[in-house]
Amino acid sequence: MTGFLIQRLLQAIVIMAVMSVIVFAGVYAIGNPLEVLLPPEAPQDIRDAVIKRFGLDRPLWEQYGLYIYNLFQGDLGRSYIYNEPVLQLIFGRLPATIELVLTSVIGALVIGVPLGIWAGYRPNAFSSRAIMAVSILGFSVPTFWIGLILILTFAVNLGWLPSGGRGDTVEVLGVAWSVFTLDGWSHLILPATNLALFKLAIMIRLARAGTREVMLSDTVKFARAAGISEGTIIRRHVLKLISIPIATVFGLELGSTLAFAVVTETIFAWPGVGKLIIDSIQNLDRPVMMAYLILTAGLFVTINLVVDLVYALLDPRLRRRAAP
Amino acid sequence: MKPFSWAIALGGLLVATAAGAQTLTVGVRGGPESMDPHFSALGPQADAVKHIYDTLVGTGVDLQLEPSLATSWEPIDDVTWEFKLREGVKFHDGSDFTAEDVKFSIERIPNVTGPTTMEIYIRRIADVEIVDDYTLRITTDGPAATLPFDFVRLFIVSSAAAADFSDIESATEGFNSGEAAIGTGPFKYVSWEPKGELVLERFDDHWRGAAPWESVVRREISDDSSRLAALKAGDVDLINYVSSADYLALERDNDINTFLGDSVYVMNLQLDQRDETPKVYAKDGSPLGENPFQKKAVREALDLAIDRETMVDIVLEGLGTPARQLMPEGFFGSSDEIEAKPYDPDRAMELLAEAGYPDGFAMDLYCTNDRLPGDGAICEGLGQMFAQIGIDTNVNAISRSVYFPAQARKEYSAFMNGWGTLTGEASYTLGSLAHSPNEEVRMGAFNRIEYENPEVDRLMQAGSKELDADKRRAFYEEAMKLTVEDRAYLPIVVLQTVWAANADAVGDVATRADEETLAFYIQPAS
Repeated sequence: MTGFLIQRLLQAIVIMAVMSVIVFAGVYAIGNPLEVLLPPEAPQDIRDAVIKRFGLDRPLWEQYGLYIYNLFQGDLGRSYIYNEPVLQLIFGRLPATIELVLTSVIGALVIGVPLGIWAGYRPNAFSSRAIMAVSILGFSVPTFWIGLILILTFAVNLGWLPSGGRGDTVEVLGVAWSVFTLDGWSHLILPATNLALFKLAIMIRLARAGTREVMLSDTVKFARAAGISEGTIIRRHVLKLISIPIATVFGLELGSTLAFAVVTETIFAWPGVGKLIIDSIQNLDRPVMMAYLILTAGLFVTINLVVDLVYALLDPRLRRRAAP
Repeated sequence: MKPFSWAIALGGLLVATAAGAQTLTVGVRGGPESMDPHFSALGPQADAVKHIYDTLVGTGVDLQLEPSLATSWEPIDDVTWEFKLREGVKFHDGSDFTAEDVKFSIERIPNVTGPTTMEIYIRRIADVEIVDDYTLRITTDGPAATLPFDFVRLFIVSSAAAADFSDIESATEGFNSGEAAIGTGPFKYVSWEPKGELVLERFDDHWRGAAPWESVVRREISDDSSRLAALKAGDVDLINYVSSADYLALERDNDINTFLGDSVYVMNLQLDQRDETPKVYAKDGSPLGENPFQKKAVREALDLAIDRETMVDIVLEGLGTPARQLMPEGFFGSSDEIEAKPYDPDRAMELLAEAGYPDGFAMDLYCTNDRLPGDGAICEGLGQMFAQIGIDTNVNAISRSVYFPAQARKEYSAFMNGWGTLTGEASYTLGSLAHSPNEEVRMGAFNRIEYENPEVDRLMQAGSKELDADKRRAFYEEAMKLTVEDRAYLPIVVLQTVWAANADAVGDVATRADEETLAFYIQPAS
């Protein structure tokens, strides 16, 4: 197990290093960010002075070297746009994204898996067909459209819920959270639903496919022959056997939603990191882009590692194989 | 939900007993970058911080100069301006505004300004001399006729409150926390975080009188549809930058009033004037061997091929006017003698044939698609119009983050973006676009097509030194006429801006040409 962990950590470091080079070169290739940021009427001498001040007149390798040097000193730079330290800017907005994403992904898991198992257990029932039809909608209708329809229905026409923003927050452990206030929930429910629909559809389909397969297996046949009740079979055997693909997808979805909840955040004016990163790309705010992409790479590497560990917990065979 | 709404209702009841006690909630497309007014020269930034800080010189809705913290100004010799300051003005902390604060603000800018540098507004200043508490003499590095126009973005901060927050490291912290965010403006700073809400509270001792709103909340909602939904749901009272499609629908809505104003933005097509240009080809894709845009007949043909009326009516749904010159009519230095541009594709094809391109040619047209309303659509429209006179146009409407760096590297031949005459006078626009690139006289910085007309250069340089306003206006008008006549820049449309407000909350909105949404000039519904 330790060997496995060390191997994974080394891989992670290489991935991060390669990633930082690619991103830096890519951002450099778009062009000088100051061409977007400098006021158009600035005369050449002011342009040159500002470009020099930000070190953008230096060659690519020198800029990259300086960036990495500062990175190891814990300095990711200041945003060109907000002049705040990049980490402060990102972590200030991360809780908003985290609570939105966790609510939607966990919601999708808790609702989607039972529905999927039911649809796989009774594939021909009317309710199962209805569940599958809804899941196709969740897959195929674009997020931004559903988001706007949700706003139109619940905020504009019915007036039940606010159209956007985050609502009241309370400080827990020094961070502002809105999941602990009623007003916060009223703001959270629409964007979380919007974000959850696609994941819900995936969970349903994965659970259904897994269940249909497992129901035909010898395990279930023997269990039935032994007189174990259907409820116990589903809890003890089916759920366990279908959980590996679900854990994988759950991990990946969690990561990608955390990193790229952009569309939902934009439509619902949710003050998370998604909007920040999109705007920083549009403004070529290089320090924010770099820091965010590196953090995202780190996030995926971590999630994949955790998912691998969860496999071992879920499946005793993997646990025994990995043992030294 | 219940306890919360009761609290709001109760709070509303309490404040409603005070006179004129209301909150204005505004949904804005873009928010500020910092509470330090000297950090950035960007439009949304100025829009936000103008609530807290006053500028030395003010501007009216049509961008013409008016007194603000300075009550009058005049040149006393070729290189010296004297500014008389308003007496009895208070900062939010109760201290008096004096000449010291102006000097401090000017001298602070180079130390704290970011990449969207504010140094452009003080670049002509050589020295600042305090004559007495309410008189200031500013020496310039040469005759600087447009100095008062530069000062419309010179925000004045309190020299006492900001003293410890005037380097790039400490400034943001000091101002965003509110400690140094002390101005003389109509509203006091309460709270803000990047991309979040800006909360403001009325300053009762403001020198213009108290604002009509007790407090103001400016919420950043960048998505056009979401901003409109927030308005319709009643979450905000007022929104800016309504899209042209939504504008048509809102016209029929009785609960919502729309306010339409001319903007300072003109869409310009720019045609590369260098000997070799990268993105123009023969129709089979082979090189042409010359730059067709150097021929005046070709430029005129392109000009005649643009149907500006259609562009306004169809592409912009009526939210614009056909442009005749590089800035809106009525601005200082715009010419009354320039006629409306005709649309004549037949004549355009004749001109192309005369220039040696009877079958036309092919070109790549580049534009922004995310900077100003309708920019991408206008670009598509241009492509079709040029195709009709036989110029195969490959339209590339792209993000500004790709467009501007590439444009600066001069990788394009024909390209279009908006230009806003933010100071309301011609030297800002013609000095950057029409003057040939020249570091010595510090003009032509945005002339990316290397357009050069010696007469225009002469007029712009003469204008920049001419302190007599009427004479200067004559120089600029002449330069504008010559530039438009040369057709290296083809003005297409002047954009218009739309605000929309809930009729039961907002009575009137001052539609400013600089597109600012200033709560002080917004009247509550009576």
